[in-house]
Amino acid sequence: MSATLAVDLEKVSRTANVAIVVFFAAFGAAGTFLSFYFHFLTVAFFLMILLNLYWRHFQTSHTLLANFGFLAQIRYISESVGPEFRQYLFASDTEERPFSRVERAEVYRKAKGIDSSSAFGSLLTYDRSEMKLRHSLYPVDKAQMEPFDVAVGAARGLATTYRIKRPVMISAMSFGALGSNAVRALARGAAAAGVPMNTGEGGYPKHHLVEGCDLIFQMGTAKFGVRTEGGRLDDGKLAALAALDPIKMIEIKLSQGAKPGKGGLLPKEKITAEIAELRGVPMGRDVISPAHHLECVDASSTVAFIGRVQRVSGLPTGIKFCLGRPDELRELVAEMKRQDIVPDFITVDGGEGGTGAAPKSFMDDMGMPLFAALPETHRILQEAGVRDRLVIFASGKLISAGMQLKALSLGADVTYSARGFLLALGCIQALQCNRNTCPVGITTHHQHLQSGLDVEAKSQRVVNYIEALHHDHVELLAAMGRSSARELTEINVSLPAGVSAPSPGQERS
Amino acid sequence: MKHPKITRAAQGVAALILLIASGMKFVGEPGSVEVFVELGMEPTGRYLIACIELSASLLLLSPYAALGSVVALSVMCGAVIAHVSQLGFALSGDGVMQLGLLASVLTCSIYVLIARRSELPFIGENL
Repeated sequence: MSATLAVDLEKVSRTANVAIVVFFAAFGAAGTFLSFYFHFLTVAFFLMILLNLYWRHFQTSHTLLANFGFLAQIRYISESVGPEFRQYLFASDTEERPFSRVERAEVYRKAKGIDSSSAFGSLLTYDRSEMKLRHSLYPVDKAQMEPFDVAVGAARGLATTYRIKRPVMISAMSFGALGSNAVRALARGAAAAGVPMNTGEGGYPKHHLVEGCDLIFQMGTAKFGVRTEGGRLDDGKLAALAALDPIKMIEIKLSQGAKPGKGGLLPKEKITAEIAELRGVPMGRDVISPAHHLECVDASSTVAFIGRVQRVSGLPTGIKFCLGRPDELRELVAEMKRQDIVPDFITVDGGEGGTGAAPKSFMDDMGMPLFAALPETHRILQEAGVRDRLVIFASGKLISAGMQLKALSLGADVTYSARGFLLALGCIQALQCNRNTCPVGITTHHQHLQSGLDVEAKSQRVVNYIEALHHDHVELLAAMGRSSARELTEINVSLPAGVSAPSPGQERS
Repeated sequence: MKHPKITRAAQGVAALILLIASGMKFVGEPGSVEVFVELGMEPTGRYLIACIELSASLLLLSPYAALGSVVALSVMCGAVIAHVSQLGFALSGDGVMQLGLLASVLTCSIYVLIARRSELPFIGENL
C-alpha cells in the first residue's frame, strides 16, 4: 500500500474562504473593543469578502475562480509574473527565445566594448543538427584581408550606385515602432560607423534624417509618406523624397518575416498629428495597410511597379520578401527577364519573425526560415541568369558575426540586423514591443520611459557593436581561409539535414 | 485609455473631497482632532489617515485611478465603521454635511472602481 503526501486544494480553498469571513469578524471585534487600528484589517477583509462573492457567485468567465474563490487568484498572479521570474531566476542561459541569455550577453559585451572570450567549451548545442562554419587548414593572414565593398545599382550603371562598406546594416524599424530617442541613437551610431539604416515603412523619416546617416527608404504596402489618398504611389512625393541626399536606396516591401501575406491596420486612436504628417494619412480615420501593394496583383504588374519606382526615384531600388512559394519567385524572375527590369537588390527576410508586431500564428507557422529561403532564392536567381544583376540582402536573427557569415556563405551579399541593434541599445527582451510599455524606452513613445535612453551614450554602443562585429568577421574569415566575405560559398558551412545548399561552383555577382 | 467624462468627473469629485479632508487632518482642525481623540487614535491615526487620503486623492487624478478608487473606498469603509461603532451619526448641522461628503466619496469611488476595474494590478483581468 502506498501513501501519497498530497494537498487537497479544494479543502484548502474552502478553508480559506471561510477564514476570510472569520478574520473579518475577529478584526471587527478587536477594532471595536481593543483598538480602532484593527479596523484597517477589518476593511481589508471586508473588501476581500466582496471580491470573493463576486468571483464565486456572479462572474462566469473563470471556472477556477468560481470553484475555488480567492486562492485561485494566486494562479493568475503567478502566471502574470512568470516571464520575469523565469528570465531572472529559473530559465537556463541557453533556453530563452527568441534570444537566449548567452546570445544577448554577447551583444551586450560587444556594445559595451568588453572582451567576450570565454572558457570550458560552448554553452550552445554543438552537433550535426546545427549549421557551423568550416575553417581552413590554411588560414590567411589578417593583413591580407580585402575591404568589404558591395555596389548596389552598378549593374544598371546608375550614377547613384551605392557602395556598402560593411557586411551588416541596420534593418527596417520605423519611427512609430521605435521611439524618437531610439531612432536617433541608431541613426547617430550608423552615421559614425558608416553603415546604412533602413527607415522602416513609417513614412517620411523625419527623426532618421536628423542624424545624417545613409538611409534606405522602405515603402510598405500602405506607402506611408509617398501615397495618394487612395493608398497608391504618388510619383511626385517619391521623387521629392528620393532627392534628399541621405536617401540612398528604395526598398519596396512585398512581405515581411513577421507576418508574410498579411496586411495591417493603423487604428485612428494611434494617429497623432505627427504620425499623420509623416505618414501622409488623415487623422480620425483607421488606415489599412493592404496585404499587397495595390499596384501589384501578379508577376507582370509587380515587375512593372519595380520599374516605375526605379524610374521615378533614380536610386538603386530593390524588393523585400519572406520566401513563400518558390514557383511564384521563379515566375517573378522570369517576368523580370521578359520585361528586362531587375531590382537592384532583393532582401530575403526569414520567417522567424522580427521586431514587428504580428499574430502569433503568423510568427510561428508562416513563411520559410532564412537559412532555408536564402539558398533557394540564390539558386533560383542563378538558374535564371540574373544573379549577377542584383545584390541579396539577408535578415532574420543575424545578430552575431558567425550567423552573418553563415548567411553570406549561403548566398547573401550583405546582412541586415534589427534586434541585434536593439540589444546594443539596451533591449532586455521584455517582449513588450507592441504595448508601448518598453521598460528601456526603445519601442515606446512615453516620454518618461524614453528619458532613460541617452542618445549619445547609446549611439556609441551601436558603433562599438559594429566595430566588434567587424573584428569577429575578420578573425573568422581569416580562419576560414578567405580574404573577403565575397569569397564565401556554401563550402564554408556545414549544413544540417533539411537545408539545401546552392549549386556548388557558381559565382555570384 | 480614454474614459467618459462622467468617470473623470467622479474621480475629480472624490479627489477634491479627499484632498480637503486630508488637509484638515494635517493642520489639526478641531473637529478632526475631536473625532480621533474619541477613536483613541490622536495624533498618529489622524496623520496616518490624512496620508492615506492624500495618496487616494493623488492616485485618483493619475493614470492609476482604479487603484486610487480602492484606497478611497477603503478609507470610506473605515469611516462608516467608525460612525456605526463609536461616533454615531449627528443628523444636524456639520453632521449632515459630513454624512453627505462621506456618501459622495463612497458613491464616486465605487463608480470609478466599477468603470475602471480592468486596470487594477494583478486582478484587473479577472474583473
